[in-house]
Amino acid sequence: MKLPQNVSQADFTAALKAFAGIVGDQWVFTTDEDLELYRDSYSLMWGEADERTASAAVAPDNADQVVELVKIANQYRIPIYPISTGKNLGYGGAAPAFAGSVVFDLKRMNRIVEIDERNGYVVVEPGVSYFDLHKYIQEKGLKLWIDCAGPGWGSLLGNALDGGLGYTLATYRSHFDAQCGIEVVLPNGRMMRTGMGALPGAKTWQQFKPGFGPRIDGLFKQSNYGVVTKMGFWLMPAPENHTTGVVTIPRFRDIIPLVDAIGRLEQSKIVQGLWNLSSPTTGTSGDGGPGGGASKQKDSKILAILNDPGGVDMDKLDAAAGAAGIPFWACEFNFYGPKKLIKAQWDCVRDALKEISGAKFKLDEIRALPLSPEELAKMRDAVTLGIPTLKTFDLGPMLSYEGEDVVGHIFFSPIIPRTGEAAIEAMDVFATIARKYKLPYPPVQFPASMFERAFMYVVALPVTRSPTVNAKIREMFRELVLIAAERGWGEYRTAPAFYDLIMGTYSYNDHALLEFLETIKDAVDPNGIMSAGRYAIWPRHLRDAKG
Amino acid sequence: MLTRRTAVGAGLAFGSVACAAGFGAYGQAPGRTREGRSIDTLFIDESFETPRQMAALVEAGGRALPVVRIRLEAADLAGLQRVLEKSQAVVGLSSGATLFCLERIAWDQGFRLTGRSQRCASGPGEACLQDLAAFLGGTHPAASPPSLARAYRPSRADGLLHAWVMRRSAGPQFRQGRRDV
Repeated sequence: MKLPQNVSQADFTAALKAFAGIVGDQWVFTTDEDLELYRDSYSLMWGEADERTASAAVAPDNADQVVELVKIANQYRIPIYPISTGKNLGYGGAAPAFAGSVVFDLKRMNRIVEIDERNGYVVVEPGVSYFDLHKYIQEKGLKLWIDCAGPGWGSLLGNALDGGLGYTLATYRSHFDAQCGIEVVLPNGRMMRTGMGALPGAKTWQQFKPGFGPRIDGLFKQSNYGVVTKMGFWLMPAPENHTTGVVTIPRFRDIIPLVDAIGRLEQSKIVQGLWNLSSPTTGTSGDGGPGGGASKQKDSKILAILNDPGGVDMDKLDAAAGAAGIPFWACEFNFYGPKKLIKAQWDCVRDALKEISGAKFKLDEIRALPLSPEELAKMRDAVTLGIPTLKTFDLGPMLSYEGEDVVGHIFFSPIIPRTGEAAIEAMDVFATIARKYKLPYPPVQFPASMFERAFMYVVALPVTRSPTVNAKIREMFRELVLIAAERGWGEYRTAPAFYDLIMGTYSYNDHALLEFLETIKDAVDPNGIMSAGRYAIWPRHLRDAKG
Repeated sequence: MLTRRTAVGAGLAFGSVACAAGFGAYGQAPGRTREGRSIDTLFIDESFETPRQMAALVEAGGRALPVVRIRLEAADLAGLQRVLEKSQAVVGLSSGATLFCLERIAWDQGFRLTGRSQRCASGPGEACLQDLAAFLGGTHPAASPPSLARAYRPSRADGLLHAWVMRRSAGPQFRQGRRDV
């Protein structure tokens, strides 16, 4: 049996026995076969001495059990690591950030505590997945939509705490921003509610985010200050209709006025649905999926430029596309709501973008919702309609890298300014890295627009089962992080292997942010039991040990 | 050209020779593993174009065994959960991507991958049919779940088809249905 660091066999045995006393023997896992499920399938340290694996796992049924388990962990100084459904693939999966931690597996806590159609909110426990909530809403016939992450098996609560994103209206896409009210078991075992939830009998816990006094909900995002056991989310009223509209723009550098114009529409709340860039010229889409897709471009002159081993000359590409009459950019907008609203929004988009010479516009048929199963089957994915799927896995990872099978991917995902100039710079910087390491990516990749005011640029790096190749990927990741930081671009989320690296780049005023986070850590978790190392926040005794 | 009759006949004839407890029995009744636990369901990856020979085989199998076609969508996955809840052992034919997803969904129902073959990778040839028959008949030697889980490429883009079997382990089931307060 693997032991947590600095814990004696006697204490660990006693703690496991006490845990079992709370949850029952069958919900304490210590065998290799059971613990295999808590490895990160996409770990870049798979099978290496530094792979972060659990010493045991415990699965409570309710928040009261979590309180008791945390108290026991404090008594025996057992490091614990709560997970929701453990499906955070590409960003760490179910594995702990600190090797030897006992995973608190919360997927048994799968209650939909409250759902309110009138005010548009839901309160869920950590084990409720997007599939679960979608099914519940369908069964009850509620006029509500969810905003789901790409893979629908993830936890609403877990995805929000990790800073995850969705695909519908801007208000709901940033999942932590869509939350309203948290119940959390603090590291000392005390339960707390944030916002209006601190008022006993509150009638507005899920309706008024600010509460009274400091708004501390953000302290529980990407941190280790407690076990979140309930969370409220604002839900979107089910819209009457949906459609997409596509604007094509002829030249590469037209992306600059394009992004500016769309930005104004978004800031004015005229464009609220997700918009995606793709390029008829390069034949690639810009949805940030795992790399490896081949260009669908057929024009031989354009292909020759795209496949230039020295990199794509954008001026030549622009000229070739112009000669072939192929627009460089296609921008697809999603619209929701009453028909007259959709038409008005489209008119505004046309008015704003017609200033770009050569812009062309096509609004697709406005379709009444819900779509029939036949119509849904024609869609590549239904996440823009708030319907969870696992189709993102159909994209597959790239097949091989350096002669090794690719078994998954990790995401390098920096946030870059919402300007065409920054998008061009990022495309150039990351394409250079892709060429350097012979990554089989399209020659030009585009930023994603899920966040309201900034671009996210996603590079999916391959994961193999070869320690040698994985070590190379880790170095590649490190290089990407540092190159991005030099340009003022920081990652919004990462896998545990890179927590410290990335937090190290958030170093303003001699790491004042991390020092503040560590001060809070020492105050609320003096024994350092809670999710040690998560997002680079280490308890004092482990900071001292690291020097 | 291979007809349904010849394909089914070939499968059954092959099974009766190569797998005494395999396809011959499978054609008559649900397969039974060496541990005496029956195979409850055959999963077929709907997102994969099932080759003609395999489709005929599946259709034949369906006479004795429920065949569930799987897509990675909400509506299908709800049905999948119900099937898993009632099953002890399931056999499937799918892409690596679909297997990757199904395996993790099935973990929460207490299932573990205990057999996997890539001999279907190059198409539904004799080796593939042999392995599928062995899974259905319970004669395929079980391997350790960890070694199986880490060994395949979770892709659809590679065009490979995997035959596999999952069995319910002694461990607890996480998914016991949604609970509303």
